[in-house]
Amino acid sequence: MTLARQYVRSILNAKNLLVYSFLLGFLLYMVTPFLITLFNSFGKGWYGMRWLPQGWTLNWYKWAIEVADIPVIMKNTLIIAGLAVAISTLIALPTGWALGRRRIPSKELLTALILLPRMIPPITFALGVAKIFYGLHLVDTFLGVALAHVALAAPYAILVLSATFEGLDERVLEASAVCGASPAQGFFYVILPLILPGILSSIIFTFTTSYNEFTMTLMTYGPHTVTLPVRTYLAVGEGYWEVSSAMAVILIIPSLFILFLIQRQLQPEKLVGGFKGV
Amino acid sequence: MRIPGHRWREGLLTLLLLSPGLAGFFGLFFYPMLLTVILSFRPEGKETGWTLAHYARFLGDPAFRDVLSLTFSLAVGATVFSVLLSLPLALVLREKPKGHRLFRLSILLPMMMPHLISALGLLLFWSKRGWANLFLLTVLPFLKEPVAVNYTIPGLILFYVWLFYPYTCLTTLSSLEALDRSIEEAAEVAGANRLQVLWHIVLPLIRPGVLAGSVLTFMMAFGAFSVPLVTGGNYRPLSVQIFTHATLYLEWSAASAMAVVMAIAQVTFLTIYMRVLRKPIA
Repeated sequence: MTLARQYVRSILNAKNLLVYSFLLGFLLYMVTPFLITLFNSFGKGWYGMRWLPQGWTLNWYKWAIEVADIPVIMKNTLIIAGLAVAISTLIALPTGWALGRRRIPSKELLTALILLPRMIPPITFALGVAKIFYGLHLVDTFLGVALAHVALAAPYAILVLSATFEGLDERVLEASAVCGASPAQGFFYVILPLILPGILSSIIFTFTTSYNEFTMTLMTYGPHTVTLPVRTYLAVGEGYWEVSSAMAVILIIPSLFILFLIQRQLQPEKLVGGFKGV
Repeated sequence: MRIPGHRWREGLLTLLLLSPGLAGFFGLFFYPMLLTVILSFRPEGKETGWTLAHYARFLGDPAFRDVLSLTFSLAVGATVFSVLLSLPLALVLREKPKGHRLFRLSILLPMMMPHLISALGLLLFWSKRGWANLFLLTVLPFLKEPVAVNYTIPGLILFYVWLFYPYTCLTTLSSLEALDRSIEEAAEVAGANRLQVLWHIVLPLIRPGVLAGSVLTFMMAFGAFSVPLVTGGNYRPLSVQIFTHATLYLEWSAASAMAVVMAIAQVTFLTIYMRVLRKPIA
């Protein structure tokens, strides 16, 4: 059989066609919302009922940057995320160490408790957090919003770091001591390189959690601490679809970047359970 | 043999190490939750006194009962359709067709993007003037008017499925891939056709995985907040009601009662999930 005939045969193979069109449909179902947001953010005079906008423009991005103060908002978001990462990591280091290497009665129960804030929709305890922060004058402060994010980010960090520390084999450290390393050298040359990947991935998770966080921010923010997700929400509420699209594109660039970075390591099937979104 | 004092000091050190985590847990989660519970028993706007009125509303007020049934139906609908989507998808991906890596990565997409952004994109795509309707109007000649998807219940379920089916699909896929193919081959040798193998062998074996994933999807759909906030229109499930009652109507006590109900419901579902996880393959 010639190659052409083989190709035609395989394309016309009904089952293959069904399978591939199902997969194509599924892919479109997944990807189209982002595509249309992207197009919308660059489109001029696109009031729908057309496949593509009539013209292209950067106006919406300009509007976002100049009128909606996106640079300031981006700065807010990054400052809050930085604070949240720092506080979460400071909390998670000793806690993760204890969970990973020390003897603790009912460790499972403790771990489940620590993960509880991620299992329950944040809106349920966001009310309480808001009330406490009002009393402590933490509303509309960078520290306040960051602390609210820590409630959601620290459990992740603790989980990752406890796994990292648990996997630390002290025999390697003993071997280095036998070879003549001082405790300081042991730390910097043996322990640190071993735990660095874990700390790094904990930082990435914590940063992403805080950067994307919406619900907790909504309950604790104010005019000085508007973050990117909140601003996008407000823009949607105001009805500015194109500007919201531009803001959305600006917002997801880091997430896409991180996804691209870690997609090699990722085995999607293993990534299940306990990964609640915003 | 250990000196008793030694053990005491070890425990103290452990406690010291755990203290930041415990402090965070109590200060940022447990204490707020406790405040919410207490607030739910207070009369509206008062600092003292106890009342069950806010909880009684769930039994008495038809509007509140509607909220609960709305939240449940959305969650159940989303779960059912997620399973209906995930099963064929997992079965197809298991055969590793061309480009299956891309498809597996795209399953992660809804989990990695903030829900708000996905909600915006979904609204744009499925609106009366969006690409979906454009396509339908072109392809289906009998369609005269665009189909309303946004702000309707079926539309909302469509969005929920888009957002939360990955939780079902990932566990289904992983159970599917853990299956020993030789069992299916044995069944085929014994004379079963492909459909019978699927129905009698594969599906029962992956049931725990599908179940676990669908409980996760259900929990996500039940607790969804930013999505119905933006795309719900007139339909406001429990999470949105908590928010509007607190910030719009300033009825913090009523909102707290709703928050407590939601928290209890989610903990119940979580317990079910843990139970399902422990079950051996039936």
